[in-house]
Amino acid sequence: MSELTFTPVIGIEIHIRLKSDSKIFCSCSTNTDAPANTNICPVCMGLPGSLPHLNHRVVEQGMLAGMALNCGIRPKSLFFRKSYFYPDLPKGHQISQCDLPITTSGYIEVHDSEGNLKKIRVHHLHLEEDVGSLHHSASDGRLEGADTSYVDYNRSGTPLAEIVSEPDVASAAEAVEYVTTLRRRVIYSGASDVELEKGMMRFDANVSMKCSDGRWGRKVEVKNMNSFKALERAIEYEIKRQKKIMLSGGEVIQETRHWNDSKGVTTGSRLKEFYRKFIVEPDLPPLYISQEWVNRVRARMPEMPDVRANRYVSEMNLPREVADFITDDKNLADYFESCVKAGANPVRAAHWVRTEVLRVMNEKQLKIQNFMITPEVLAGLVNRVDEGKLSTTQGKEVFDYMCANNCGVDEAVKNLGITEGGVAGSALDEIIKSVLAANPDVLNEIKSGLDKKGKKLKFLQGLVMKESKGQAKPQEVAEAIANAVK
Amino acid sequence: MELYELSLYHLTEGLKAKKFSPEEVYESCKKRIDSCEENIHAFITRTDEIAKSQLQEDNSGILAGVPTVLKDNLCTKGIRTTAASKILGNWRPPYNASAWNYLRSAGAVLMGKVNMDEFAMGNTCGNSAFGATHNPNDLSRVPGGSSGGSAAAVSAGYVPFALGSDTGGSIRQPAAYCGVYGLKPTYGMVSRYGLISYGSSLDQIGPFARTVRDLQIVMSVIAHYDPMDSSCFREKNYDFTHHENVSIKGKKVALVKEFQDFTLDPAIERAMKKTQEILQEEGAELVEVSLPVVSKYAVACYYALAMSEAHTNLERYDGVRLGYTVKDAAGIKEMFERVRSYGFGPEVKSRIIAGTCLTEPERCEQYYVAATKVRTLIAQEFTKAFTQTDFILQPASPEMPPLIGSQDDDAMKGYQADLYTLPVNLAGLPGLSFFTGYYGDLPVGLQLIGPRWSDPAILEAGLVIERHTGTPEIANEGVK
Amino acid sequence: MKLTSEQVNDIAIESRLLLTEQELDGATRYINNFLDILDSFKELDLTDVEPFSFAEALECPLREDKVCAFPDTEAILHESEHVDGSYFKVPRIMEE
Repeated sequence: MSELTFTPVIGIEIHIRLKSDSKIFCSCSTNTDAPANTNICPVCMGLPGSLPHLNHRVVEQGMLAGMALNCGIRPKSLFFRKSYFYPDLPKGHQISQCDLPITTSGYIEVHDSEGNLKKIRVHHLHLEEDVGSLHHSASDGRLEGADTSYVDYNRSGTPLAEIVSEPDVASAAEAVEYVTTLRRRVIYSGASDVELEKGMMRFDANVSMKCSDGRWGRKVEVKNMNSFKALERAIEYEIKRQKKIMLSGGEVIQETRHWNDSKGVTTGSRLKEFYRKFIVEPDLPPLYISQEWVNRVRARMPEMPDVRANRYVSEMNLPREVADFITDDKNLADYFESCVKAGANPVRAAHWVRTEVLRVMNEKQLKIQNFMITPEVLAGLVNRVDEGKLSTTQGKEVFDYMCANNCGVDEAVKNLGITEGGVAGSALDEIIKSVLAANPDVLNEIKSGLDKKGKKLKFLQGLVMKESKGQAKPQEVAEAIANAVK
Repeated sequence: MELYELSLYHLTEGLKAKKFSPEEVYESCKKRIDSCEENIHAFITRTDEIAKSQLQEDNSGILAGVPTVLKDNLCTKGIRTTAASKILGNWRPPYNASAWNYLRSAGAVLMGKVNMDEFAMGNTCGNSAFGATHNPNDLSRVPGGSSGGSAAAVSAGYVPFALGSDTGGSIRQPAAYCGVYGLKPTYGMVSRYGLISYGSSLDQIGPFARTVRDLQIVMSVIAHYDPMDSSCFREKNYDFTHHENVSIKGKKVALVKEFQDFTLDPAIERAMKKTQEILQEEGAELVEVSLPVVSKYAVACYYALAMSEAHTNLERYDGVRLGYTVKDAAGIKEMFERVRSYGFGPEVKSRIIAGTCLTEPERCEQYYVAATKVRTLIAQEFTKAFTQTDFILQPASPEMPPLIGSQDDDAMKGYQADLYTLPVNLAGLPGLSFFTGYYGDLPVGLQLIGPRWSDPAILEAGLVIERHTGTPEIANEGVK
Repeated sequence: MKLTSEQVNDIAIESRLLLTEQELDGATRYINNFLDILDSFKELDLTDVEPFSFAEALECPLREDKVCAFPDTEAILHESEHVDGSYFKVPRIMEE
């Protein structure tokens, strides 16, 4: 009997906080770091009589995010009321576009286990409002076991995009690549900064298993993942758990499970499933988006990161890994491209950006937008090294000096006492002469043929290089010394 | 003549000419209220002192110094607003309803918040956590609802005008029962911001007054674009100033064919005949329109939608952020259940459960979605009818105000009585409830309906009819 | 199809309402009467009918993304009996 195999069938729901100054349906600030319950008003507190009024920018951010996922924009979309009772939900319903969303379907490309590109279809993206945030009294800050909870409504009404995938994801690794690529694309679009540490991206996964014997497990919704790592671990855990049940002949029950990050397990919810029903939000007329508006927004869409990385590979001969690395941060890639545009060799420029620029950024906790060396200046430095006017070591010295003193290449070279083009010809002869004069014993040993392994010769070369402050070319030094000791 | 007896128009003219002072008007109205309120019970909250302090503020608006009352589902900053429900407790809103802001800016002063059916659900004003209001024309009878307090206050001479709200007839029916004029404006003409929602796509704020001219004055203040209400009209201006030489000559006024078979109270039957004669005398042409879907399905459609929207509007009352609450619940679910079970009255609970039931996934398509489609048919039927006529004339209610406590146990029968008013809300139309005269001691009102945004024209037609019927008298039954 | 009182009770609980037996009887009767009336929709052919929206095709107006803080957040907090410090304190959410 052949061994049973299992294929995971996974769909992912992502909530991303869209970037805007004010909330989706009111004029309160979206700053959720403000003191608790200070960015609140009758609308986002759901006070009786208040009515929502939609933020123009949030609509555009939704369009941008949708376009970043290759989604079309629907000319007419609607808002609905999604009902459930929870203390962080002030109106007892969430205003959401769940049933007629702003976008049509789209896709994101990821690599499958064989390394081939595959499409994860995006069912749609829709706009909705976020709920307030809860803080729990239990010692570990978790919901379970907490006797009381504290509600802060600052987050209530901040704008969200919910992105629902088709069940096309087949592994935890694919899931991670899907959300990573998606996040990068959304950031590129300008729709959101998606700062993970601020909880601006949250995940739910629908996991079920298909067995080679034809059995299908029921769909389990796993909630409460707030990081890529948590998503990966939760899916892996759930795959293992469901496999085990199915292997033992058991039935996976359809349920909602919560990911417990500290314990690394999913647990079934004791709560009866929230009953959700939708009615059309009567306080918001349909949202109409003209083709002209779509075109205007589309014109603002930058080249997407994966497309950009492909171009770096095919047109600039960057290694795939370097191209992926640089395009991960749009601003870093912009910096790199400016550098290339200013005349730097792309491969060399990429290397400089990846090593030196990044090192200093990390050391000084700088964002690339605020980096002290402009891409044009860096291009100049890269070129001088490439042309041999500066050695690599000198180039790095100049770079560091420029970073520390906020100056240009010429000034750094001058202040470092570097002679461009290096020490050669008579200047080099002078140095060699004085080195030999200072080391008569060594010279004699070499002349007597005792330096069989060339160690003494190397020693002299080192001294000369040191004297020239590294500005001599090692090859020239070696030749000149060899001549001098003959 | 006492100052409280003056119409809004005469009051504003007199104040402008300094024939009397705002303080004198205030005192006269206050005295009138004091003398009747024990019997009428129109108020939930009296705000005499607030009105007095508002009088001190400098204001030269067209309503400067005019006392008014608001239905208690309109938010008033710092002043208790209850929607006649226990669940709101002593809630003092941190903001004003836009309509009240407009009145206040024009100089109106607030005498109080008046009674209504809880969350505007009802047509007697008896379904209030604060007890029933009595009809000032006959204390044993209901004033109608849900804006019964507003209608009673104007009818009894407390104030020259009041605001109410109309979701399925809640302005027009009590106006008819109390013998005053009431306008349910076109949906979108008056901002709903700050109106505690019942059925959001049906709710509309409107005025009560004792003359049509007075309605025009109030409308000129509250028909105001408001960015806070997304369903509010934009880029439109309405002229409510025409009152001289208005005519309906050559206009068509229709009766609804399908309504002819329904039974009406003889008083209303007679008023219909009399009004038709007036219209003909004024040169209007009487025609007939057919509204088959309206006559058969509007009641079901209306209640399906009103309840579906209402149950979501009422989900916010959970005791966390405002109003009535309990502090000793062991869990959040228990807290929600105890707050809501105690806080809502029986009619509201029934409608919440019905609304929840209709919108559940397995029934949603069959009931809620079907109702939204029936509504389209109803609106289309009216659109077509208004290609054949300028106005439609019909009762505001098939019956005269019933005795308090005489309501049928079967709520559905009560709902059927709303057939004459609620189609207007379904189609978002304006409807004027106008006074036609008395039958015995009781006033009889009827209703004139027009196409969307025809509010000024309806009021002008109302002025023409008013010339024949005269204005209603102030009801005196409440006087101690 | 008639709803049983158990079904109505489930709906009530979903709406966070606890009904007395008398209330439940009333509500069950009320809803079943109501559903009977609504069943009349079946007489209409609604297949090609769009759900209602206002004739003028009212568009959702859009607000500029501008922060305008509500001036009196204290007044909002003041209305709740559950305010503890600057938070709203609520009892146990997760049931055992």
